[in-house]
Amino acid sequence: MIIDVHTHLWGGQYEESKSTLLRACDVFGLSKLYVSGLKEHYPDPDEIARLNADVHRLMTECPGIVEGYCYVNPAHDNALDVLKRGIEQYGMSGMKLWVATFCDDPRVFPLVEQCIDYNVPILIHSFYKTVGQLPYESTGVHVANLARRYPNAKLLMAHFGGNCYHGIKAVRGCRNVWHDFSGTMFRRDDVDYAVERLGADRIVFGSDMPITFAVNYGQVEEANLTPEQKERIYWKNALELFDRKYRIG
Amino acid sequence: MYTDVNALLGHWPFRKIRKPTLEDLRSVHRDNGITGGYVSSINAIFYNDPFEGDEELHELIGGTEYRHVLTVNPTLPGWQRDIEEGLERFGIHGVRVYPTYHDYDLNGEAMAELCETLKRFRLPLFLTMRMEDERLDYLMKPNPLNIESLRTFVSAWPELDVIVLTIRYAEIAALKEEFNRLPRLRLDTSGLKDRVFVLEDLLTFIPAGKIVYGSLHPLFCLKSTFCLVDMAELAEETKRAIFAENARFLQRSGAD
Repeated sequence: MIIDVHTHLWGGQYEESKSTLLRACDVFGLSKLYVSGLKEHYPDPDEIARLNADVHRLMTECPGIVEGYCYVNPAHDNALDVLKRGIEQYGMSGMKLWVATFCDDPRVFPLVEQCIDYNVPILIHSFYKTVGQLPYESTGVHVANLARRYPNAKLLMAHFGGNCYHGIKAVRGCRNVWHDFSGTMFRRDDVDYAVERLGADRIVFGSDMPITFAVNYGQVEEANLTPEQKERIYWKNALELFDRKYRIG
Repeated sequence: MYTDVNALLGHWPFRKIRKPTLEDLRSVHRDNGITGGYVSSINAIFYNDPFEGDEELHELIGGTEYRHVLTVNPTLPGWQRDIEEGLERFGIHGVRVYPTYHDYDLNGEAMAELCETLKRFRLPLFLTMRMEDERLDYLMKPNPLNIESLRTFVSAWPELDVIVLTIRYAEIAALKEEFNRLPRLRLDTSGLKDRVFVLEDLLTFIPAGKIVYGSLHPLFCLKSTFCLVDMAELAEETKRAIFAENARFLQRSGAD
């Protein structure tokens, strides 16, 4: 069984994204996907609304397979309303933060506090880059700041922070941070390094589909893991992360 | 017989590599049904005299099922002799270059001289686009290889066997006319990661015969590239061609 906690619908490409995601479920035997809608780096409120509506549509069309993240731009005045609509009306399972603000920007705090009340995780794009770093692109350092401020928040740091040697070191002491290694980094040793530093209990499987799948699946299959550790990464840790009865801190 | 055209042995100085030995390479190959491959020295990239790295490599793989690909920096003196010695002592099956790490013009005089030599010895060129994701390595930032520069280069050497290593999907798409037009231009699988069904998509605009299996082990995860091919929704004979038959051109007559 595989639960993929990090996938996307691309804005304006609903049918194509849906087709790719569902085809992947068939071909790779995926049990569940957690999906957020993305398009522009700095979306306006209308785009946010359209993206979340698309994800809700996919959840409705694919019950039991697709769960949703509510994508929020913390710079918007209506950010908290967007989050509440996503969780309460759309039945989404978490919040997604991308690159519109750093994740430890004070404008994020009311959103985090609301997520703590709901006890839903916050998927945070985190990527430390040597080239092409976006102006408000969070890294593991920002995630660690947020984690320490809100030890009761369930934070899911995406991509191992990009460069795992940077991201994981930044958040290593934070028990309320989970990790996915989604995307295209492809390096053979990232998962082994993460398990050695963190243990396997806070690592969840994510692919960044429709960008890739085999990259991350192969990393788990080749890593030096016991069958139990693979199970935890493939699905057991995700069940815990999204369990609203499971409180951290 | 599945073959990996892009494997390496040696010490990568920027992060700990957990599977660096020949036995590790054999083990991961065996686990995935790969029975041999073309191996270069990581050390040779960073040694002042790359040939010292190749001497070390030969001590490891000489007489084994693995074939030696020599590392050359054509801007250094003495590379012609290195190729001659490499043929005589190591039985090399090709030459690998790293223009982004050694910082020279792919279309400059040095590369032109190298290509003439490769033609004379009928050796293929293994052309390295990258060794890591450019976003990730803060210790060393190699200059990216410009696609237009690559286009000019491959068009100038149509009679040379060239395998472009670790090239990304968008780069292949930008060069699709060249990949279709030039019969001796090929690419390996180690850079294919930008779509879920990347091979299926790639084969809508370049023929399967252009693709050879390469992993960039131990830097990249071999299982990831293996799964890209093995799990692809393609005919089994297409997958077998990528894993095996498409690399047959690398076999040197009388030597294999």
